[in-house]
Amino acid sequence: MSDIVLRVEDVWKSFGDLQVLRGISFDVAESEVKVIFGPSGSGKSTLLRCINYLDPPDKGEIYLRGKRLGDPDTDINKIRSRIGFVFQHFNLFAHLKAIDNVAIGPEKVLGLSKEEARERAMRALKHVKMDKWADHYPAQLSGGQQQRVGIARALAMETDVILFDEPTSALDPELIGEVLQTMLDIAKEGTTMVVVTHEMGFARSVADEMIFIDGGVIVERGTPHHFFTSPESERVQQFLHKLDELYGQTRDERRTIAERDQE
Amino acid sequence: MQGPDIPRLFAVIMERGVPAALQITFFGLGLGLLAGLSLALMRVYGTAPMRTFAELYEKTLRGIPVLVLIYIFTFGVPGLFWFVDPLSRPIVGAYVALGIRSAAYQSQIFRGAILSVGEGQVLAARSLGMTNFQAQVYIVLPQAFKIALPAWSNEYAVVIKDSSFASDVGVFEILKVSLNITASDPRLWLPAMLVVTLIYFIFTYPVTRYFGKKGGGMAQVGREIVWQ
Amino acid sequence: MMSSPASPSIGPLGIEEWVGELAAGLGMTLYLYFTALIIGFALGLLLALARQYGGRISSRIATGYIDLIRGTPLLAQLFLIYTMPYSLNAWLSPDGPPVINTRWSFQLLGLTYLNFPILASIVALGLNSAAYQAEYMRGAMASLGTGQVLAAQSLGMTKHEIFRYVIIPQAFRRMIPSWSNEASYLPKYTVIATFVSVEDLFGKAKLVVARTFLALETYILVGVVYLILITIIARILDKLYEKTKIPGL
Ligand SMILES: Nc1ncnc2c1ncn2[C@@H]1O[C@H](COP(=O)(O)OP(=O)(O)OP(=O)(O)O)[C@@H](O)[C@H]1O
Ligand SMILES: [Mg+2]
Repeated sequence: MSDIVLRVEDVWKSFGDLQVLRGISFDVAESEVKVIFGPSGSGKSTLLRCINYLDPPDKGEIYLRGKRLGDPDTDINKIRSRIGFVFQHFNLFAHLKAIDNVAIGPEKVLGLSKEEARERAMRALKHVKMDKWADHYPAQLSGGQQQRVGIARALAMETDVILFDEPTSALDPELIGEVLQTMLDIAKEGTTMVVVTHEMGFARSVADEMIFIDGGVIVERGTPHHFFTSPESERVQQFLHKLDELYGQTRDERRTIAERDQE
Repeated sequence: MQGPDIPRLFAVIMERGVPAALQITFFGLGLGLLAGLSLALMRVYGTAPMRTFAELYEKTLRGIPVLVLIYIFTFGVPGLFWFVDPLSRPIVGAYVALGIRSAAYQSQIFRGAILSVGEGQVLAARSLGMTNFQAQVYIVLPQAFKIALPAWSNEYAVVIKDSSFASDVGVFEILKVSLNITASDPRLWLPAMLVVTLIYFIFTYPVTRYFGKKGGGMAQVGREIVWQ
Repeated sequence: MMSSPASPSIGPLGIEEWVGELAAGLGMTLYLYFTALIIGFALGLLLALARQYGGRISSRIATGYIDLIRGTPLLAQLFLIYTMPYSLNAWLSPDGPPVINTRWSFQLLGLTYLNFPILASIVALGLNSAAYQAEYMRGAMASLGTGQVLAAQSLGMTKHEIFRYVIIPQAFRRMIPSWSNEASYLPKYTVIATFVSVEDLFGKAKLVVARTFLALETYILVGVVYLILITIIARILDKLYEKTKIPGL
């Protein structure tokens, strides 16, 4: 198949005695949005770091557009410049303004001129509606704004795929919406995305496929419709139920507080 | 013969003593910066043997009085600096002694500063496709230098103050010229020492005061760096 | 006076017969260290309290003292103290007998434990160390925050009781890690005593070199002795910290 952007093939990873990933495989097609979820410690972050070889897998292969990352003659830095990464804690460069955070990759890694890089960065910031904040340092931005800059930083590299590692889980509830909206926008524009998240609303509206991971293996996979109507395994049912309790409850509370405020 | 007076003492200190003290400080700090930064990088990113080496280096150089080091590099190995003019050998010995000692402290300063930049930003840089070297040059070190500034200004004060030890090996720095020029007139000893103290204060206090206030992850209250 | 060595070399270093001398020097070094540390501790505590909890004037004075000491070399401070009586004598009685006697000495079991150079060294080291110790103590006091003081006040404690029962016990524990820095820094700086001809460890080393010309061996040996001394002190302080640690503090 020619429209496979990313292929994850039987990936294993352990840290010392701890076997974190035990043979994970899936493909991501052009413009596909893949949502990965599962309990804490199940290896989701590890999987994403294996995909761009920040943590090389012990066994198994990753292919980006057919190119094997583990090949001795693959320039891993070149490959990484074609895989975007959005972090749970944003990881913005603290000494750089928003615009320079976004421009530094195109300039130093892709070799664009300073002007070209800044232009491209500005476009990316506009894309996430952060152009007005271009001259602010990360410390001057809210969590939601920082994460949008983090997304712009990935967008500006014009990568083949962007990996998101729980991009909203470090945010205050009232800031989650703006980041999810940005992600929805770029998903609808056809960006290829692999998203680790527990925001089931997001999954429901844009995921092409959802993958549930537990204990380092894929327990169940399917469309959002499948997961929200007839999940097969008990573990998935329990997990979704728990999510509902946690997030559903807080959402109700949020609503009541909002209603109270209106009175 | 006319005895020296305070204005003349002041003039001689400024002409001979201060330049020598600043020279020692400049080269001592510079050598300490190069070696200290390398040690810090070894400790943070190096292999296990490199880390052990850097740690051992720090422990050793921090445990020996700087005067002993100065003696080792001057009288201990007399021919060590055969390539410099014999008259300058003591001052070169002082640069090296203060420099390799300062390296041990600067290594600590930079290690802490590098660590406080945080792994997340390095990961982000690597995920953009930067090489390790690029991540250091563009992301980690610019921030580390800024974070290290207060502690580094303290280290500057330590080195310039300790340059006074070089007086014991015949370097005509501030203390030595003052003691020499007033040697024959005990009445001037005390005033001379007041002048000396004042001059050092002028060279340290404004610097530590200014840079000490520039925030950062470190407090530099003492003779050496303290992490909070 | 020491007799010159009978045989040129009796061991690998060639300075083995001078071990007794060096040991006496080490004794002097330790003596300078502990007296200065204690003086510095007492004065440092006063300075810290004055700076952190004192009135405007006393906190200004404490701050000024600390800044002055930290901004100038210990060696200059020593010479300031050491030259004082000589200068005063020269001014007050240029030709007559000295007004201030600098030639006294106290001995015990044949060892000089106090004379003017030793006194000047101890005073210089103590006054200097006080400024650094004060800053470490103040750091520990400042880190307590105001919440506990407010709580103590709300219990009806007096200022004195708050110091005694709330601030000082916690500050002492908190300051151990940073204070350890000063405690293991000070031994190295006792070498300043050599400058006023006190025969501390380094002074003895210079003596040995003058007799044997084995400069490198002697200075390295002495360097190692300082290193061991400081390592031991750091170990002891680590133990002390572990012993007095309070969870969450
Ligand atoms: N560098 C590492 N060294 C050792 N253990 C690690 C490392 N990285 C992750 N682990 C361990 O691997 C397991 C999986 O971690 P991972 O971060 O991938 O989980 P996760 O699914 O992302 O969890 P969360 O939802 O909490 O983010 C955890 O037990 C973690 O402690
Ligand atoms: Mg994770």
